[in-house]
Amino acid sequence: MQKLPLNLVVPFILFATSSRLVFAVTLSTGIDEVANLPYWEIKGDGMTLRLVQRLPDQSRGFAMARGFTPEQAEVFAQSCAFQTVFKNISNLTTPGTLNYNLRDWIIYYQDKKRGMKTREDWEKTWPPGQVKPAAQLALNWGLYPTVQSYKPGDYNWGLSTFNLKPGAMFDLRVVWHQYDKQHEFVIHDVQCAPDIHPDPDDIN
Amino acid sequence: MRVLIKIIMLVSLNLASLSAVADQQTLPSIQEPFPAPGFTLQGEDGKTYRLSDYRGQVVILNFWATWCPPCRYEMPSMERVWQDTKDKGIVILAVDVGEDADTVFEFTGDYPVTFPLLMDLDGAVISRYEVVGMPTTYIISPDGMVTHRAVGSREWDSPVLLDQLKAMRTPKYK
Repeated sequence: MQKLPLNLVVPFILFATSSRLVFAVTLSTGIDEVANLPYWEIKGDGMTLRLVQRLPDQSRGFAMARGFTPEQAEVFAQSCAFQTVFKNISNLTTPGTLNYNLRDWIIYYQDKKRGMKTREDWEKTWPPGQVKPAAQLALNWGLYPTVQSYKPGDYNWGLSTFNLKPGAMFDLRVVWHQYDKQHEFVIHDVQCAPDIHPDPDDIN
Repeated sequence: MRVLIKIIMLVSLNLASLSAVADQQTLPSIQEPFPAPGFTLQGEDGKTYRLSDYRGQVVILNFWATWCPPCRYEMPSMERVWQDTKDKGIVILAVDVGEDADTVFEFTGDYPVTFPLLMDLDGAVISRYEVVGMPTTYIISPDGMVTHRAVGSREWDSPVLLDQLKAMRTPKYK
């Protein structure tokens, strides 16, 4: 096998590690250290996105505490919510604004394509007057922004909802824009949290 | 072998500098600064706060809620900034969105902050600013222009942010 000349190899490696070439989008999964629930995280050039399962009971509790009726809280609890964190981690020396629109993201579930349930969709579920104003405000601001623009260092936390049954497994096509270029990545086998009602005897 | 070690060291340095990017504190400027929409709100302490009362000072205008984890995360660093700068031309107005005085008061039991906590009960004020996610913090210059926006929490007392805020003050406070 022919040896590559070192005077070519060294500059190439340095270039690759200091440029965008090294940033293929990567996926990692595991257990979120804070929530103690499964997460799916993608990391690309200047961005990270983490989806952390959220138990229906957590969503139920959030909604009840904000003033939703038990029936309304149940609808929200069954909507397959994920704690979502999207960050712009671009280098400050080459700043890049990052944009996304949740309406561009596609859910693949049982051979069908569908969109996410956004803030605007929830407003259709509960138009003003059908829920307490404080509850409406909390839901609106608790949900992940439908459209957002992040400069370096910016990020949001929020709930994204997929309107699938607890335990459902799906693929998600994530789309974002950076450096005037569209990026996308499909996360396979994302799973909604199951609706667990622990038996009191199971709790130590 | 020496060449290989050099390569590994240089690659490691490059990757380390990239990972450090994520921890940088930033205060992005707004491309087209705009006049800060005025407001009058009740504080959790029962006082009335008018944005116009703070003309001539740098205002850190923070939109938050007690149930928002990153909002809570940045409160201690905001308190440190407040303690350092409250009489030196930089003020903090933290506007809670949609929650009442009891809820905000309860919050201060866990997060003992002393800067003004205002209540935007019906979301009327936040709707006048271009906020789409919380926390969002705007910096208002002494002449009343919104000049910077931070989306997500920050370590507000980090030297890079604090120096940036102090540099915006009028000569009176420098």
